[in-house]
Amino acid sequence: MEYRVVILLILLSIIPFFQYSIIPLDLAMKIIVGIADMNVSNDPAATIITHALGSCIGVSIYDPAVRVGGLLHFMLPDSTIDPQKALKNPWMFADSGIPLFFKEAYQLGAEKKRLNVKVVGGSQILDDSGFFNIGKRNYMTLRKIFWANNILIRAEEVGGNVNRTLSLELSSGKVWIKTSGDGVREI
Amino acid sequence: MNLVDHILQSTDRLPPFPMVIQRAVQLIEDPRSSAQSLVDILQFDPSITANVLKLCNSAYFGLRRTVSSLREALVMVGFDQLMEIILSQESSMLLQAPCKGYELRQADLWRHSVACALLSRIISKRLNREATLTLFTAALLHDIGKMMLGHFVQDYFGQIKNLTGERKLSFTEAEKEILGIDHAELGGKVAEKWKFPEPIILAIRYHHAPSHASKDREVVELISLCDVVAMITGIGGGADGLAYHGDGELMKRHHLGEKDIEQFIVKLEDRFQLVDETLNTKRGGREDRGLQCPDRG
Repeated sequence: MEYRVVILLILLSIIPFFQYSIIPLDLAMKIIVGIADMNVSNDPAATIITHALGSCIGVSIYDPAVRVGGLLHFMLPDSTIDPQKALKNPWMFADSGIPLFFKEAYQLGAEKKRLNVKVVGGSQILDDSGFFNIGKRNYMTLRKIFWANNILIRAEEVGGNVNRTLSLELSSGKVWIKTSGDGVREI
Repeated sequence: MNLVDHILQSTDRLPPFPMVIQRAVQLIEDPRSSAQSLVDILQFDPSITANVLKLCNSAYFGLRRTVSSLREALVMVGFDQLMEIILSQESSMLLQAPCKGYELRQADLWRHSVACALLSRIISKRLNREATLTLFTAALLHDIGKMMLGHFVQDYFGQIKNLTGERKLSFTEAEKEILGIDHAELGGKVAEKWKFPEPIILAIRYHHAPSHASKDREVVELISLCDVVAMITGIGGGADGLAYHGDGELMKRHHLGEKDIEQFIVKLEDRFQLVDETLNTKRGGREDRGLQCPDRG
């Protein structure tokens, strides 16, 4: 009986060490992309995540041959409303952010013809007046840029009135969406 | 006991509102108050003093000389700015706990609220109105009701979500139909209990239905616009998403267009990054002091 107690005590005492060793490793593998931000990586252990896609749009690109991928989280369609801002932070706008984002991936060895492109976000406030339809205009601008550059969208989930979280697993190229209330699913 | 009574009763178990903000909020609307009287109250709170000094000496203000006391901070940055720092900082204790039902993570509601507060300044300036502290405070606290309603929203989430999907109701309308009360109304009742000035109570109460406010319509409308713009950005957004009405008539009345909304968002992004970095204690850092959604009991 006593040896069981001793084993139990030993097990209990080493559990905290496991916790401490697991948590930092887990955090190290997540790369968070903020609002008006992007990240491109070839680290196979990494998962890139962006939260809080409301009217903003998240673009995921992934080249399976070289396992290079990235996420862009842009807020607004058109940088002409503030060119200075676009110089400072090009990721804020579709027109300044999307081309640069693709170039970042090319620099890590990705090739356009192999890219798996997925698009998520562009939600809308309930409104018929059109004053608040930034989500829709974000998406239209993205489509125009993709059209002009011969880029095909492999999968998308755009519109509605939900907030979405988007993540890209670099080892597999799998893309996940989390919508509040609906859990996580792959697209 | 019906559900509404149950919800209202749950607010009885709320922790007391932080004295400092309560006094500060009352001071804002009191014409007899002076900046000095505020400093006199605040200087005995070492954490407030430390935070104010930290922010005043940060890149956000870019002051040339080091600020070393609250009195000095008052002279250097002015009364309104000093109050804004203190309100933003202190409200983080109220609004930073994760909130179930709305699926808000640590500090999400605070970030949304600070975005609204910053927008109140940005939009006031565009409309050539004075960016008052009343507006700033109302924007900061407009969603306080979510903190109390979260548990109940969680219990009935499926039904609420169905109404927003099938009948295209807004989230507040669905809350009202399923729970009997929505987060704006509940927030208004809590603000009354905490003896907030009337324009702030009304702004909280009617921020999703500004046309129903019997007075202080300007304040209420502005807060509702700030809220919509903040929701569009997704900053601190939750399970209710963007399922709220935008008021096109309000936009027309103020001669605002879609490009104005974009400008507001650009300006917000500039300021928000700085405030978030400077003020936000790391996620989880002050969790123990936060206001939790009270249990249903």
